[in-house]
Amino acid sequence: MGKFVVRRLLQMVLVLLGASAILFTALFVLPSDPVGSLGGSDRARDPVVIQQLQRRYYLDRPLPIQYLHYLDRTLHGDLGESFRLQRPVNQILGSKLMNTVRLALAAIALEILMGITAGVISAVWRYSFWDVFATLSTTIAVGFPTFVIGLIFQQAFALKLHWLPLSGQTQGLWRSIWLPALTLASVDAAIMSRLMRGTMLEVLRADYIRTAMAKGLSRRTVVLKHALRNSIIPVITYIGIGFGTLLGGAIVTEVIFNWDGVGQALVTAIGAQDNPIVLGAVTYAVGAFVIINLLVDISYAYLDPRIRLS
Amino acid sequence: MRKMRGSLRFGVVATGLVLVATACGSSGSSKSAGGSQTTGGGSGKQGGVFRLGIVEPTAIDPYNSQESEGENVTKAVFEGLVTVDNATAEIKPGVAESWTKNDACTVWTFKLTAGTQFSNGETVTAQSFIDGWNRAAQQKAASDTAEFMSDIQGYDAVHGTTSATASATTMSGLAAPDPNTLQVTLATPNCDFDKKTLQPVFSPVPKVAGAAEAHSAYADMPIGNGPFKMKEPWQHDKSITLVRNDLYHGTKAGLDEVDYTILPSQNATELEYKNFQAGQADFARIPPELQPQAKSQYDSQGEFIHKDTYGINYLLVNVQNPPLNNPDARKAISYAIDRDAIISGVFKGFQSKATSLIPPQFKDYYQANVCSECTYDLAKAKDEAAKGGLKPGTHVSLQFNTGGGHEAWTQAVQQQLQQNLGLVVDLNGIPFKDLLTNEAAPDATGLFRTAWSADYPSPDDFLRPLLSKTSFPPGDNRGRYDNPAFETLINKGVNEKDPTAKVKDFRDAEKLAIDTDMALIPLWYRSQYRVVNTAKFTGVDLDFFENPTLAAIRLK
Repeated sequence: MGKFVVRRLLQMVLVLLGASAILFTALFVLPSDPVGSLGGSDRARDPVVIQQLQRRYYLDRPLPIQYLHYLDRTLHGDLGESFRLQRPVNQILGSKLMNTVRLALAAIALEILMGITAGVISAVWRYSFWDVFATLSTTIAVGFPTFVIGLIFQQAFALKLHWLPLSGQTQGLWRSIWLPALTLASVDAAIMSRLMRGTMLEVLRADYIRTAMAKGLSRRTVVLKHALRNSIIPVITYIGIGFGTLLGGAIVTEVIFNWDGVGQALVTAIGAQDNPIVLGAVTYAVGAFVIINLLVDISYAYLDPRIRLS
Repeated sequence: MRKMRGSLRFGVVATGLVLVATACGSSGSSKSAGGSQTTGGGSGKQGGVFRLGIVEPTAIDPYNSQESEGENVTKAVFEGLVTVDNATAEIKPGVAESWTKNDACTVWTFKLTAGTQFSNGETVTAQSFIDGWNRAAQQKAASDTAEFMSDIQGYDAVHGTTSATASATTMSGLAAPDPNTLQVTLATPNCDFDKKTLQPVFSPVPKVAGAAEAHSAYADMPIGNGPFKMKEPWQHDKSITLVRNDLYHGTKAGLDEVDYTILPSQNATELEYKNFQAGQADFARIPPELQPQAKSQYDSQGEFIHKDTYGINYLLVNVQNPPLNNPDARKAISYAIDRDAIISGVFKGFQSKATSLIPPQFKDYYQANVCSECTYDLAKAKDEAAKGGLKPGTHVSLQFNTGGGHEAWTQAVQQQLQQNLGLVVDLNGIPFKDLLTNEAAPDATGLFRTAWSADYPSPDDFLRPLLSKTSFPPGDNRGRYDNPAFETLINKGVNEKDPTAKVKDFRDAEKLAIDTDMALIPLWYRSQYRVVNTAKFTGVDLDFFENPTLAAIRLK
């Protein structure tokens, strides 16, 4: 187990190095000078300022030197300075990271709650009203793009019913997080419930379930203890991937709901060619994804003792 | 000094409110330190929280405050030497109660009102201005707006040049013979220098400001001398909150608080408008496609504001490279564009056709129809095309920046030029940064979507940066228009003492560049639309910088 974790962590370092190198090259090889003009203005930038910023951010050096400088800085925990705002990236991304994590946690919790419940109900009472209802609604949810769902929620709950704030966090975290979290959860919960239903149906047909039933165990115990535990591994994998992605920042949802997270920062930064923020946000997203997947792999061993981590 | 409370009512007419209030802050009456209350014009009472959305500004510290968002905050927290009358664009006193210039327009002397204060109690003196200006001009500050100071003597030594680093920290052209006199010596004459000081970069700063740095504590919570002050440090990407500054020397603001919510730039306009509809904002921009709906919904309650501002949308033309390197070819293009059809078809009437470069807001200088080619005329278009060698089948490039809502109208222009002149218009949408690079390239050809807004209320701020040879790239004359007769006219105009002659020079210069030479192709003026919660507030209007007149707003 320990060996496994160490090996995976070493792999993670390689992944991060590779990702950063690819991204760095892609970003800095782009033709236009990231500090050569003022974002979104028809006005030319003062050449003295351009020169000053190029020097400050090593943009006047050859690419390999720039990369080494970036690596050196990053290894010291410093993600550099935003080209546009001229403030440290650590400071800029810090509070956004917390916001993204909050939203990811809320979304994944709703997702698990809705997805697993719907999946189990559909499997246990196959072809019942609730099964058909769940199948139909999940098909609709999967079919709609996230931003449409977000806009519908805004229209309904904020503009018409005035139950929840439209966007932002000015009215407190607890009230504000509902709409973006539900939006994010709805699509993934739909997929999860279908996955849950499928694997559960398979497991329910297995011999040991019939044996357990025959031994007189209650249906509740059989379903929740035996069937659920054995059919949940693919779902856990899915949760892991979903959570890892969410932690990297939910771009569309964050923008629609003005949720001040990493995803929103990333889009703004890409538009402004603010490379240090892009690099910082992506490095973090890749790191979060790799770590979550490691945790998921470890959880397999706990859920199914037949799986050995070595 | 006591705060004015809600019970106190002002007793003048509501309509003149904005006018009177902007002018009032400066009228030179009640100026004793932290002194007596100046009574503002207009009805309404004090109090209230005004909520609006903005996108994250680059800076709110005056040294680098640049977009209308940053200026919105900076101009509320700081007051410079002068202010601008909202209706007439006349320059009015700010901290300076009077000023004079020498005949050559090279030495400016500003007399400051004695004893005005920053919100921390420090007295505003001539040195506060010198400190603020020097601070912004430092090369290390990398300020994008320091350029406005480039005509001050000693600027280059402080700001550095592309070939030499800075050799001084104070501009030799700035002096304070006594605490309330600021003397500015310019390296190049500028008879509009007083107007230029409207820019936030010319704000005074208190001693605590320290060096200009984007991540200093002061940059997040600047202390100024304006009608409002920061309530708490800037919450980046979340909010900025201002409260009334009771030490302000002019008419005290009516609002208790201004709450800016910071919105993502991708959909800020949509969110602003939705927030307004949901009752979460009192003021909002309107997405262009929703303008007709907003007008029909809000205009009758007086909640819809329309204002034509000091700007213009035009097509930048590279006048040095074929196929548009002769005036006839450019006139053909201009004649062949049916602006009225595009305005009614694409913009649903929410733009107004430009027939000049200097917009109508410059009342004295404006010449309606100075661009005789700005009216659609197919026969003349074909004539000029023949004269200018624009044969059917000629390729003309038309580039625009994506993400700015320019797709529909550029397509319409493409269609019209193809249909009317048989040209092949290569329409190309590219990122903003690339558009500017392409415009400035020495081998650039064809047309580019561009816009310009005045930084200070002077026609010189249109003619010189856009059309003078001195503004060739890296300046803003990216079409590379170069006509010695034009240079002579604007230089004469700038230095002209007789106001009538001055107006004539600028008008002649515009006529030469636009009508005779067609150095650029005007399309439509700049029109701004907003929705405002007038059920709760009065006195809301758009100022010169297209921001709400925060200091004049009163609770109903």
